[in-house]
Amino acid sequence: MRHKRGFSMERKKARWGWVFVTPSLILFAAFSFYPIINAFYESFFNRNLLSLRPPSFVGWNNYTYLFRSKEFWLSVQNTLIFTGGTFLPLLVFSLILAVFIMSISRFRRFFQMAFYSPAVLSSVVAAMIWLLIFDPRGLANQGMNSLLGTAGVNYNWLSTTTMLRLSTIIVYFWKYIGYFTVLFVSGLGSIPDTLGEAALIDGANRWTMFWYVTFPLLKPTTLLVSIMTMIQCLKTFSTQYMFTSAGAPTRPINVITLSIYNTAIKDYRIGRATAMSILLFIVMFAFTWLQLKVSRTEDVSHM
Amino acid sequence: MNANKTRAWYLEKTFTALMWLFLAGACLAVIIPLAFMFTASAMPARDILKMPYPWIPDGIYWQNFWNALRGPEGTFIFARNAFNSLLVSGTVAFFTVIFSSLAGYGLAKFKFKGRNLVFMLIMATMMIPFEAIMIPLYMVAMRMGLQDTYAGLILPFLANAFGVFLMRQYLITFPDEILDAARIDGASEPRIFGSIVMPSSGPAIATLAILAFRSQWDSLLWPLLVVQSDEMKTIPLYITKFMAETHSDEGIMMAVAVMASIPMIVLFLTLSKYFVNTEGLTSATKG
Repeated sequence: MRHKRGFSMERKKARWGWVFVTPSLILFAAFSFYPIINAFYESFFNRNLLSLRPPSFVGWNNYTYLFRSKEFWLSVQNTLIFTGGTFLPLLVFSLILAVFIMSISRFRRFFQMAFYSPAVLSSVVAAMIWLLIFDPRGLANQGMNSLLGTAGVNYNWLSTTTMLRLSTIIVYFWKYIGYFTVLFVSGLGSIPDTLGEAALIDGANRWTMFWYVTFPLLKPTTLLVSIMTMIQCLKTFSTQYMFTSAGAPTRPINVITLSIYNTAIKDYRIGRATAMSILLFIVMFAFTWLQLKVSRTEDVSHM
Repeated sequence: MNANKTRAWYLEKTFTALMWLFLAGACLAVIIPLAFMFTASAMPARDILKMPYPWIPDGIYWQNFWNALRGPEGTFIFARNAFNSLLVSGTVAFFTVIFSSLAGYGLAKFKFKGRNLVFMLIMATMMIPFEAIMIPLYMVAMRMGLQDTYAGLILPFLANAFGVFLMRQYLITFPDEILDAARIDGASEPRIFGSIVMPSSGPAIATLAILAFRSQWDSLLWPLLVVQSDEMKTIPLYITKFMAETHSDEGIMMAVAVMASIPMIVLFLTLSKYFVNTEGLTSATKG
């Protein structure tokens, strides 16, 4: 009798478990699973947003078209340039800033808040501020001219290919440097002081201590931060969209997400845009999988 | 020996000084664009374009803020768009917290057949970047008649895999004894959730709510797809339209920037500890 009551209690609890997860599951089904399955399906059709003709099956045509298209490879190249150009400086500088912040005794919180503050603004606002700074009469030219001792040189921040790419990288770097610094600071904070003290007693100087003690212990954080940054950079959109809609040339900063958007909304080619989405998905899926795998093995003990 | 020690001491001091210098310089570089936004919002456009930039405004040029509020057509559409942003971000934050804690609680504290599968499925959605499904999602939204509606802006973001994960990790350590005691006292499961579980999840809820609010406040891509009318625009859309139409008055631009940032600045100054979710990250790294 008692056994039976316990059993029914378990079943009742199991039912409540389902009740609690069902609302989320329905939402995930409608807005995550269905669209991604649908995306695979649509990528084999030539659906046109405005055309009333029913879309016809075109097999791998969307994909072969993309692989032959110069425009597509340019957007891949733009995305890779942006990702590479942003991720490495972000990683190096946020690590340096975090190590420095942890080595000083005062104003730690102040510096973290200050570096983080640009991340509080939305990316559209960030792009707007920098559009003015990169104006030919703006602060960027003024600053460069006074730094390099030149007068009245226009560095064409928003017009030449290289400078335009650099400009988008600067905006992104500025916005996210604080975020990654704070992540590194918390990573550093989890390393016990005793390790450093032991190394100092053993006669290590700051550099050897950092290189042989701190940095190896930070490796999991570093890996995680790297993958996170890369995932973030691969899907960059707002800065590029804002710059191009304010009149900057599109080609140098036509990153994949921007290209997907324009293909679907300006060219109405849903099938082709979806095929691009699927390719982006595959790359980012690989990175995210890597991130989860890395964070699984992340559980380092400092004992 | 002694000389050696003083040399090391000098080295140490120099290094510390350089470190401070680097931090201060970097800090200045990061702050300059922000300072530019605030000072320029208080200047008439003719002053902003002076070379060199004057930095200190002569009083506040309120005209910028007034013009920004009025909008290019004098329709005060900015107020409506700001309301839309607040409504959408607030609703998403509220329901994300509800749905995520429901699911997180269910996954953390109830044993049922298929629980692991459910958890895996939800975690798998973290590997689906929004950017990859936005076009199919857009087609779904069109078919459901969600174009240009609040529902269209809100619904796709109510289910948040990271939120479920965060709440599950947070609640998994919640003592079962308390829950069982409440059950013995005859409390129903919804009541236990509402009056015991939710009130004791404050920090996780705050982190999640801020995360959800910010991501909607910042969101550009999805609103660009679903919104058509000016009345339904959110602030990021207002800004893109504004930039495309009146790329002339820098003072008004910066006034818009300041006003668009006020809610975030207020949140940051009051709740900064929930902004960078290091807890969530450390728990994620231990998952």
